[in-house]
Amino acid sequence: MIFLIAWRNLWRNRSRSFIIIASVAFGMWSGLFIGALYFGMGKARMRIAIDHEVSHIQIHHPRFSDDQEAKYSMDSDSLLAVLESQPDIKSFSLRSVATGMLATTSGSRGIQVNGVDPTAEQTTRNLAGFVQQGDYLNIEQRNRVLVSTKLAEKLKLDIGNKIVVTLLDTAGAITSGAFRICGLYQSENAPQDELNIFVVKTDLDRLIGSNGRVHEAAVLLQKDDVLNQVCNRIKQVFPHLKVERWQDLSPETDLLLSSLNTYMLIFMIIILLALSFGIINTMLMAVLERTRELGVLMAVGMNKWRIFGMVVSETVMLAIIGAPVGLALVWLTVQWLSRTGIDVSVLMGEVMRDFGFATVIYPELPWHNVAQTFGLVVLAAVLAAVFPAWKALRLRPVDAIRG
Amino acid sequence: MNTVIDAHNISKVYNPDTIPVYAVNNVHLHIERGEFTAIVGPSGSGKTTLLNMLGGLDAPTEGYVEINGVNITKMPANKLIDFRLHNIGFVFQAFNLIPVLTARENVEFIMLLQKRPREERDHRVRELFAAVGLVDKLNVRPAQLSGGQQQRVAVARALASKPQFILADEPTANLDSHSAATLLDIMEKLNRDENMTFLFSTHDQRVIDRARRVITLVDGRIASDTAPTSTKIHA
Ligand SMILES: Nc1ncnc2c1ncn2[C@@H]1O[C@H](COP(=O)(O)OP(=O)(O)OP(=O)(O)O)[C@@H](O)[C@H]1O
Ligand SMILES: [Mg+2]
Repeated sequence: MIFLIAWRNLWRNRSRSFIIIASVAFGMWSGLFIGALYFGMGKARMRIAIDHEVSHIQIHHPRFSDDQEAKYSMDSDSLLAVLESQPDIKSFSLRSVATGMLATTSGSRGIQVNGVDPTAEQTTRNLAGFVQQGDYLNIEQRNRVLVSTKLAEKLKLDIGNKIVVTLLDTAGAITSGAFRICGLYQSENAPQDELNIFVVKTDLDRLIGSNGRVHEAAVLLQKDDVLNQVCNRIKQVFPHLKVERWQDLSPETDLLLSSLNTYMLIFMIIILLALSFGIINTMLMAVLERTRELGVLMAVGMNKWRIFGMVVSETVMLAIIGAPVGLALVWLTVQWLSRTGIDVSVLMGEVMRDFGFATVIYPELPWHNVAQTFGLVVLAAVLAAVFPAWKALRLRPVDAIRG
Repeated sequence: MNTVIDAHNISKVYNPDTIPVYAVNNVHLHIERGEFTAIVGPSGSGKTTLLNMLGGLDAPTEGYVEINGVNITKMPANKLIDFRLHNIGFVFQAFNLIPVLTARENVEFIMLLQKRPREERDHRVRELFAAVGLVDKLNVRPAQLSGGQQQRVAVARALASKPQFILADEPTANLDSHSAATLLDIMEKLNRDENMTFLFSTHDQRVIDRARRVITLVDGRIASDTAPTSTKIHA
């Protein structure tokens, strides 16, 4: 009966009920929408990290990541044999890597030269897809190089130009080689773009005197969730090599993903605070309007707990109506926007790219957070109802009836 | 004799620290089962204050009130609400009913608070609405009832809990004379047939005429108390 009275009370002042429902819905909507943006961004960042940057797994000589000298290499044939035998591996790329200097007439800078097999690199990280102008690497053409548009811009380079790179060979001696720019590429990660240039592996191997050796094996898996399994299997076969997962290779991406929940929670709490003040105000008005009625209820035998429960359940009902409305709206919004995506380059320009993010965000509802958000919204409504309900308790039936 | 209400020299003082107002001044009063008693007096004489204290809605500043031998004056708030639920029926001057509940729900609600089983509630609702002559208004909201009909529902609600007595503070004040007479008829019949005790305040001479005992208040004191002659006739 208390619930019946509470429920009927909702219909008394429809505009007031509507305001609370709308603000709860809006709270739910904005909390989850921001969540969806974050989550979409986070997932996109993870996909970029895995699909376009570090792959799922990388294998190195244990000393290579500390000082990237050409002598810290691995045997190519044994790697090839093991990686090809793993069914969970979609593709892999064996690379030679050398650090050195790139000198041009307009300046010189430190770079990393990646010697790759064009086909393997393409299937592992879609390098060809990044080529903006000119052509991708081709095994038929010797001494070609792919540089980023960003680097080309800085050093005033263009397709067809010849560049000279100075490197250390496997013996530690200085060597240099000339490459002709065949194409300009651009990935989502601007800082990495400036650092990395790509050549055909055999060209680089010849230059640094490496034969049948590789510095880096990048492995792309069929599915994300077999990562640890495959990683452990490789570790067993090559106990002396360093096998790292994408989380180790791109710790900032991992950190970003794990901090998403915290950000969402903080944001949600801010929204809920605002929401609570609205509810407190509105429910207080509702209680004051009904002073006489509450007085009668207390006079004829409705005890304080029941009065309290009535005011609180009224608010909770509003929250329980408003929250699914907000959920439905955010679902529709996200449905719609996840198709078109939100192009933030208009707002943020190249800032996103500078941090390694795609400039178009595809929001995605964080379903694992929906229940949590729902719970928080209802909890906030309950807490916000406590003060008005307490006010109602303090009424004395005589005063209420005398009015 | 069976004493239902026993007020032991109760007083109510407002503003004791500034200009004290003795709304009720040292009233000693017994009400027996089956009485049909009016409390009369000029405006401001303390009728409402007295009834509120007898009904446990307000605490006397001096003295104490016993209902059926239970001292309600020092009872904790929630216990007192529960006591009222089971022992006292109230009819106020106006705004008695919960506007969002139908007539039937307004009455049934009291029995729900008392946790009465469904069959008993249904039976009693029918009985009570028959007694107040509103069987055709069971599912109507208070706003669609006339003032007189609302007061009759209030009487039905006051009876629903099977109380020891019913307190009614100017129950006819907002009613036309015909509705007032009907309400009085119903109250009288309940008093006669079920020996229900009624204690009501009023200004209305026609209502006063129907009371069997009339207590007159002046400035918070009992100025006169007519012998309950008619009680003897029925006894
Ligand atoms: N809350 C209060 N604070 C101060 N004085 C009060 C309060 N309530 C009532 N009084 C005073 O107590 C006295 C008795 O009031 P009460 O309402 O009991 O009279 P009443 O006989 O019911 O009058 P009426 O016929 O107008 O309803 C009046 O003088 C009134 O002004
Ligand atoms: Mg009065």
